[in-house]
Amino acid sequence: MPTLTKDVVPGLIATGASCRIDEDVAPKFKPGDAVVTRNINPVTHTRLPRYVRGKRGVVERDHGVFAFPDTSAHGGGEKPQHVYSVKFSFQELWGEDHAGNMYLYIDMFDDYMRPAS
Amino acid sequence: MAHVHDHDHPHNKPLSDVELRVKALESVLTEKDLIDAEAIDLIVETFETRIGPRNGAKVVARAWTDPDYKKRLLENATDAIAELGFSGVQGEDMIVVENTDAVHNIVVCTLCSCYPWPTLGLPPVWYKAAPYRSKVVKDPRGVLDEFGVSLPEDTEIRVWDSNAELRYLVLPRRPDGTDGMSEGELAAIVTRDSMIGTGLAGAS
Repeated sequence: MPTLTKDVVPGLIATGASCRIDEDVAPKFKPGDAVVTRNINPVTHTRLPRYVRGKRGVVERDHGVFAFPDTSAHGGGEKPQHVYSVKFSFQELWGEDHAGNMYLYIDMFDDYMRPAS
Repeated sequence: MAHVHDHDHPHNKPLSDVELRVKALESVLTEKDLIDAEAIDLIVETFETRIGPRNGAKVVARAWTDPDYKKRLLENATDAIAELGFSGVQGEDMIVVENTDAVHNIVVCTLCSCYPWPTLGLPPVWYKAAPYRSKVVKDPRGVLDEFGVSLPEDTEIRVWDSNAELRYLVLPRRPDGTDGMSEGELAAIVTRDSMIGTGLAGAS
């Protein structure tokens, strides 16, 4: 590995490193689609928090194609796929006694969801 | 690093576990020739003096005064923010969400501490702490209350969990009575917390 030296710091801070991937991958979902998040419990890295597993939501926005952290974090390849902003009601996440005008938006990868039947 | 003696911490106190761990890591990375102390100093100096919430405040003030800019900001935040010169690490893919009379947005990262560095700098300690991260997705009004913010019952609350690669900035509502203010004056009333969603612009 190269040494992190003073001369590379400004460029590194100014440009960063996007996990976006310029690859033509077909989306599995589109805005407006009703989805259910998978109820999986990986023991390794994941960006699927426990509190949204197995919940019903609606796709709001397609962010484009990104590397999949669940595999890329372990040297398992980038597995490029779409990431979407998905909307969940608090009533779905936390129970029917919650106010009907509260929502949680979270970014979900294709592999975290299946269509709601 | 210069050590200014205008504070009163005791110098004979043992180092905390975190301080010891950081020192051990820095030593081992330096010995393995992976980092250079001057590079680390420059990173710290950059985020202490150059990159912080004043950047985000300029973005907000521009959006409040320029409707075309606001439109671009809400459609493609990364590019619109870069127009003002702010981009880079932890701001590579940005989303801006707008607070209105009807909707209030709040940002969190329940998995760790993801935060838009180019516009807000490094996150405050409470943002990274478990109490905020676990409570705000379940009881955002309770969290707002702790921050001294009270919203009408009919205001829709949207909580954004930045769990993946997108980073979020809240465009706060422009306070009433600010019509005559310049862009610079407006930027001065935009607080860090108002751009996270735990505060309102214009509040101290």
